[in-house]
Amino acid sequence: MELTELQHDALIELLNIGFGRAGASLSQLTGHRVLLEVPQVTVRQIDEVGTALKEVIDTDVASVHQIFSGPVSGDALLMLDQAGASILKELLTNEPALPFAIDASAREVITEVGNILLNACLGTFGNILNVQVTFSVPRLNLETVGAILESLRVNHEGVRYALLIHAGFKLRDTEIRGYMVIVLSVASLDRLIREVEAWERGNR
Amino acid sequence: MNPTVRDTNSLLHLASERWFGELADRGIIVTDEALLVRAWNPWIAAHTGLTTSEVIGRSLFEVSPTIAARGLDEHYRRALEGEVRVLAHGFHKLLIPGRRPAGPGVAETTQSARIMPLLDRGHVVGTMTIIEDVSERVVSERELRAQIVIAERARVVAEDASKLKDEFLATLSHEIRTPLNAVLGWTQILRTRTNAGSPDRGLEVIERNAMSQLRLVEDLLDMARIVSGKLRLDVKSVDVRSIVQAAIDVVEPGAAAKRVSLTSQFDDDGPVVNADVDRLQQAIWNVMSNAVKFTPSGGAVHVSVVRAASVVDITIADSGQGIGSDFLPYVFDRFRQADSSTSRRHGGLGLGLALTRQIIELHGGAIDVESDGIDRGSRFSIHLPVSDAPLVAVEPPTRASFGDALTGISVLLVDDSEDGREMLEFALRGYGATVVTAASSDAGLSTLQAGTFVPDVIVSDIGMPGGDGYAFIRQVQELSSAYRRMPAIALTAYAEPEDRIRALAAGYRLHLPKPVDPALVADSIGQLVAADRALREHHPHA
Repeated sequence: MELTELQHDALIELLNIGFGRAGASLSQLTGHRVLLEVPQVTVRQIDEVGTALKEVIDTDVASVHQIFSGPVSGDALLMLDQAGASILKELLTNEPALPFAIDASAREVITEVGNILLNACLGTFGNILNVQVTFSVPRLNLETVGAILESLRVNHEGVRYALLIHAGFKLRDTEIRGYMVIVLSVASLDRLIREVEAWERGNR
Repeated sequence: MNPTVRDTNSLLHLASERWFGELADRGIIVTDEALLVRAWNPWIAAHTGLTTSEVIGRSLFEVSPTIAARGLDEHYRRALEGEVRVLAHGFHKLLIPGRRPAGPGVAETTQSARIMPLLDRGHVVGTMTIIEDVSERVVSERELRAQIVIAERARVVAEDASKLKDEFLATLSHEIRTPLNAVLGWTQILRTRTNAGSPDRGLEVIERNAMSQLRLVEDLLDMARIVSGKLRLDVKSVDVRSIVQAAIDVVEPGAAAKRVSLTSQFDDDGPVVNADVDRLQQAIWNVMSNAVKFTPSGGAVHVSVVRAASVVDITIADSGQGIGSDFLPYVFDRFRQADSSTSRRHGGLGLGLALTRQIIELHGGAIDVESDGIDRGSRFSIHLPVSDAPLVAVEPPTRASFGDALTGISVLLVDDSEDGREMLEFALRGYGATVVTAASSDAGLSTLQAGTFVPDVIVSDIGMPGGDGYAFIRQVQELSSAYRRMPAIALTAYAEPEDRIRALAAGYRLHLPKPVDPALVADSIGQLVAADRALREHHPHA
């Protein structure tokens, strides 16, 4: 499925609002200026997401996963490679990280970062769509991209789509790349895109 | 009667009450939509010291005022809108202060928390807060982090040391090859020379280079002994001035040749120190020869000996190239050289000053160095404790000159090294001795057993394939009564004090470490045989 230019621009604009809020929260939390940017959004079938992500992340991934439900439902994930996650934790807390797999404090910090970002984005969608979305407690997992996507696939039947969002964290002269993946059913995606498009037209 | 059949929901309700009340190892707080506390589990009651009856029905922000004071009330408002909030201790440290730290070794409380909406058919009806005490984990992570830092530092130190050793090995290889080059080169020239000029120049170079190699090997062995704690001092009470003067005498020709002025000033009252004369002289000589080495032509080296109360200060000051402040702390470190590059101007192993410090410290003294920087000269001061013990005169080793001093003396020379055997045979013949050689202890025994040759003295190597020198001398003594008191000299590269003791215990009268000066061997043979003959004259049957 291809987004039209209008849909694409509208999504970027909405996500940037959400990322802006998340950046502001993180800046306030850490006392450092934290910028979050959305350079790229694509819609892909869930089966293609793995291939696309494996090109950019080749190690185990630290993923923060939240399920959201309501009129629009699905899975939202923030993924960072482990080195990136460690660096992000160090920059945010001023404290050297241990190897990520044994650093529970770092995993906790990354869980909160993911929570802030996912809440900000989905919250923005919720406001636009005028529906209340509720969330599960976020879980942090360390595994391969393939294993994460496999666990998303087994919980749902039918074709599902994913918004694959590149996310750049910029703080203290360092940029860390992350990826946000929002997995939706066809119906949810349809509804989301229609609403986003309507919002964009209303803005013009 | 049938037992009451309960539905799953009511069983689950009982299970969660059980968990809430007694099983949960974390704090659980439930509020309604107005954020009034409706449930407060025993864990959080114990943690805060506030009982359930004290908090139920009150606003959470009133029960724990720091939540709002720190702006964390925002999370509760978000939860009422349906969001779940994670509070990492790395950002917030804690949500609700406790009355005491959580465990042993824990100085302060740290918590992670989750704040989430309670939903009823899709509508938010309240909030639930889960608090986990992570204090102990944070402490152990901090310790782990500190250990990683320590391990990393140790790795850097080990890498440095290994690099230093590599540099040292490169320097060592260079320092060994350089004199060998001169020795082998001149040997070749002398062997093939067609013009009948004097060989003196070549021999002089060979001797000088061989001596410098000997010094290098001795330095290495000394360092090995010191490192393994095996260096023993042969301590006597001596006038420190005599030791310093002896060192000056050694350095003087080199200084004169380089046109470096070498002056000295001694206190009249000669301080007595307890010292191993040879070692201390070597240590002082090291500093002096360095001073001359690093002072350019036309410069000056001044040596002074001054007594101050119970300490004597030996100061060696030069006007040479000085020491940069960055290298000053490492001057006495093993293997360290200010310039270890291949383009360096000065040779040496970088062991001299390290040895010097070790030797001075073994004497209960100290050495320090000052320099005003590059090209501003250096000043080494050696401080030694003064002794009250009576003085023992230091006698210079006698070096008798021989021409035919060994005429009429017969020697059995046993050594498996052909070169060493031949050199000594040649030298001893030069002194007039009759020499029979053997290449092993068995061959030596056969010679004696044949009975055609009875030596006045036996000179034997110790380390030999087949029977060693210890076994050899015992077998000789068992041959007949005539051999029981046979004067014998052990000549060996095993030069440690314990080797000396072992050789004497085996039956040798003297132990001479290799490499030996042939004149010293000849001198020793002369003295041994003279003493033996004198003994026989007085006690013909001894």
